[in-house]
Amino acid sequence: MAAPASTKTRTEILISGFGGQGVVRMGQILGLCAINQGHRVTMLKSHGTETRGGYVRAQLVISPDEVDSPVVEHADVFVAFSAPAYKKFYDLCDGTIMYDPEMVSDVRHDAGAARHVAVPATQLSKERFSNQLFANMIMLGALTRVAALDRDAMQRAMLAVIPRFHEQNLAALELGYTLPAVV
Amino acid sequence: MNKLAAKYLRPSQIPTKACHGCGIGMIENWLLQAIDELGFDQDDVVFGTGIGCVGRQTFATWGGDNFGATHGRALAVATGLKLAQPDKKYLIVVGDGDAASIGTSHLIHAARRNLGVTVICEDNMGYESTGGQFSPTTPSGYVTNSSPYGMVEPPFDPCDVVKAAGATFVAETTATQWHQTVKIVKKALQNDGFSFVHVRFPCNENFGAYALGTRDTLKNLEWIYEHTQGRKADGSPADFTWETGIKHDASNSRPEFSKLLRDLNERVRADLAAKAAATTAKSSS
Amino acid sequence: MATVDPALLPNLVAPWSEWERRATRGRRLLEAGTYALTEGAIAAGCRVFAGYPITPATDIAEYMSKRLPQVGGYYMQAEDELAGMHMCAGASLGGLKAMTATSGPGYTLMHDAYGWALTNEIPLVVVDAMRVGPISGITGAPGQGEFYVARYCTHGGNFETIVLSPSSVQEAFWLTIDAFNLSERFRTPVTILTDQVVSDMWEDLFVPDSTEPLDFVVPRALNLSMPFYPVGSAALDVPPNVIGHGTGVCVSAYTHTEEGYDIEEMEAQWAQTYRLVNKIRHHRAELSRYETLGLGDAEVIAVAYGANARTVKTGVLEARRRGVRAGFIRLITLWPFLDSLFERDARYVVCELNYDGQLVREVMRAAPDKRNVHFMGKSAELHTVAEVATALEGVARSGRVPELPFIWTEV
Repeated sequence: MAAPASTKTRTEILISGFGGQGVVRMGQILGLCAINQGHRVTMLKSHGTETRGGYVRAQLVISPDEVDSPVVEHADVFVAFSAPAYKKFYDLCDGTIMYDPEMVSDVRHDAGAARHVAVPATQLSKERFSNQLFANMIMLGALTRVAALDRDAMQRAMLAVIPRFHEQNLAALELGYTLPAVV
Repeated sequence: MNKLAAKYLRPSQIPTKACHGCGIGMIENWLLQAIDELGFDQDDVVFGTGIGCVGRQTFATWGGDNFGATHGRALAVATGLKLAQPDKKYLIVVGDGDAASIGTSHLIHAARRNLGVTVICEDNMGYESTGGQFSPTTPSGYVTNSSPYGMVEPPFDPCDVVKAAGATFVAETTATQWHQTVKIVKKALQNDGFSFVHVRFPCNENFGAYALGTRDTLKNLEWIYEHTQGRKADGSPADFTWETGIKHDASNSRPEFSKLLRDLNERVRADLAAKAAATTAKSSS
Repeated sequence: MATVDPALLPNLVAPWSEWERRATRGRRLLEAGTYALTEGAIAAGCRVFAGYPITPATDIAEYMSKRLPQVGGYYMQAEDELAGMHMCAGASLGGLKAMTATSGPGYTLMHDAYGWALTNEIPLVVVDAMRVGPISGITGAPGQGEFYVARYCTHGGNFETIVLSPSSVQEAFWLTIDAFNLSERFRTPVTILTDQVVSDMWEDLFVPDSTEPLDFVVPRALNLSMPFYPVGSAALDVPPNVIGHGTGVCVSAYTHTEEGYDIEEMEAQWAQTYRLVNKIRHHRAELSRYETLGLGDAEVIAVAYGANARTVKTGVLEARRRGVRAGFIRLITLWPFLDSLFERDARYVVCELNYDGQLVREVMRAAPDKRNVHFMGKSAELHTVAEVATALEGVARSGRVPELPFIWTEV
C-alpha cells in the first residue's frame, strides 16, 4: 500500500531488535539529530509487553511539520537487529530494510520486496572493538549514509546523548558511514 | 465554659454533640491544660482529626486552624502540611479506628519517618459512632454489636506498633489518669518528632452498654481503672492488664522528617550553585 | 513540502496557542511525556510531589525526585496512593502547589483524597496515565478507561470536575501549566487524563527558560479572611484557604458553613452544591480547550482525545484524500463536557481506547441524533490510520463502521 498523500512529508523509521542492543538509544540519537536540524520528531518505544515478547522497537517519525500519527505504518527505513523483529515487521516497510546478517540469516526476497542492505554491524563491532556493544553505532552510521542524513550533525547528537566511550562510538559511527555496502 | 476552653476553643462549637458522659470532652480539656502549661497560643497549634466519635466531636472546637481528614488519613494530610508549615505544632487527635485500623499504614509510616506531630489516639475500644462494633483494640471475647458471641480476633497494642515503626515518644494512659496524661502530653509535644499517646476512655452508650452491661460512666471508668491495676475492686485478678505510662522516650534523638527534606533540599541546591560557580569560573578564565 | 489546504489547517482553542508565541527563549529537546508533565509542573510553580510509583507514571515520580530539591521543593514517596494525594492536599492547604501522578489502580485509591480536596476547594493537580484495564490489565499498554471515572472521581455527587487530556509531549507541558492555573482559579483538583502512549512517547519538546516565573502562571494567593467558603456563589478567583496563617480556618469532609463548620441542614447542602457545581458550570467558556479540523464541509466527523487522536487525525486526512468529506474534533477539555462542539447535524465516529464505549455515550447525548453517532473502540493499541480512514469511508458511504479486526462498534 502506498503511503497516503497527507503523510508525504513524513519520514518513518523503524528500529527493532533484542533488549540490550541499543535500539532505543539509536532512535534517541537519530531523533535528537533531526530536532537539532529543525525537524519535528516522535519516537514510540516498546512497552513492557512487547519487550517480554522478544523484541524491542523504536518507531520514529520525522517531519518538517508537526507529526500527527506517531505510529510507523509504512517505514521508509526498517533496521532489523534480530530475526524475530525482521519477521514481525517485514510487511510494515516499503522502503529500505537494513539488517544485521549475524542476527537475521533468513532474508526474504519476494517480488517487489523492499530493498535490502546487509550491515554486518555485530561482526564488525566484535572485530574492531572486541565487543559487540558498538554495533548500534555502526548501524547508525550506515543509516546516516543510506538516508542521506548529515554526518556531522549525527556525530554531535551522538555525543550529546551517549555519556561515555565517545572515541569508540565516533569510530563506530564512521565505520558504518563508510561501509562499502552503503557508500 | 471553663477558663481553658474560653482561652483556646470556639464558643460556637462548645459543647460538642458528644453523648452524655463521653470522655472526649474531658480528655480535650486535659490537652488544653498541657498546651497552656507549655505556653502555646492558638496560632502555634494546628488541630487535626479524622472520622468517628473522636473526629466528629473534636473537629472545629479548637480556636486555631482545624482540619478533619477523611477516615484514616489525618496523618497523610499532616505530612503534607508539616512540609508547608514546619514551625507549627501538630496535634492529631483521632480514635482507634483512624489510628489502629483504617489509617494504620499512615501511622506506621509517619512513625518511621519521625514526622513532627503528636498523635493522641483516644480509644473507646470499638466503632461507637456507627453503633458499637469491635475494633482492633477491643479486648478478645467481649460482646459488641458486631461480635454478639464475643470478639474472636486478638487485639493489638498500637503503642507496640508505633514503637516498632520508629516513633520517638510512645506512652499509654487512660481516662482515669488526669495528671499523668497532662504530664505525658506535655512531654509528647516537646518532642520534635513523632509522638504517640494512647488514651483509653469509656463509651457509655455502646461499649459500656453491650460489652460491660452498663451505661454508668463511673462504672465504666472503674472497669478501665481495674484493667490498669490488674485487679478488680474486690481484689480478684482482672482478665488482663494494660501497662500505662511512658513506654518509650527517645525524644529529639533523630531528625524530624520535614527537616530531613529541607536539609536534602539545601544540600542539592548548594551542590548546584557550586557547580554553576565552577562553570562560570572555567568559562571566564 | 506539500501545500496545505487552508480549510484543513487545524484550529486549536487553548491558552497555550498564545503562550507558544510569547515564550520564545528556551531549549528544544527530545524528551518523554513524563518529562514534559514534570517540567510543566515545575514551571507552574509546583513544589510538592507525593505519590506511589506505578507504570506508566513512575517516570514522573523519578523526575520529580530529582528536580524538586533543585528548585526548593519536596518529593515524598507515599506508602500508597491514598497517602500520596492526601499529602498533596495537606501541602497545598499549607500554601504550596502540589501534584501527584498515577495510573488506573492508583487513581481508584485516590478518590477519597480527591473528594476531600474538592469539597474543601484545595487546588492540586493529579495525573492519571491510563493503561488498559480493568484493574492491572496490561501494565504497559494504552487505554482510555477512566473517562467517566475522572468525571466522578469521588462519591456522593453534587460536584463538577475539571479534566484535561493532552495528545503530545509538547502539549503535556503547556497543559500541565494550564491545569495548575485552573486549579488555582477554580479552587479545585484538576485531573490530567493522559495515557501510556503520551507518557512514554519521546517527542520534540520546547521548554521555555524560566528563571523568573512565566507571566501566564497563576501564582498562589492566600485567603486570609472570612468567608472561607463562598457558599452559594459561583465566583472564580477566590483565593484558596491556607492553614498556618492564623486565620482559624476549618476544613473537613463534611457539608459545611462559610466558617467551615460541619452542618446537617438541607439549606447548607444546597448552598454548598451551588458553589461546587456552578463555579464550573457557569464558567464553561473559560474551560473550553479543543482542536478541530475540516469542519467546514464535514459530513462525517471523527472524535477522539489523547494519544489516539494523533492517528485519528492522520486518518481523517487520509479519508479526505480518498474523497470523504471528513472532519475532526479532538477534545482537550473532557470535563465539563463541551456539548456545543456536537451541535452540527453530521455523522460522528467516536474513536476511543476501550471496548465498552465511554466518550461515545456523551457524544450520543450531545449530538442532535444519537443514531448518527458511531463507535470505534479499540484496546491496548492505538487505532491505525488505515482503520480510521476505512471507518470514516464506511460511515460516509454506507452509514456504518465496517467490520475490522479488534474493533468494537456496539455500544
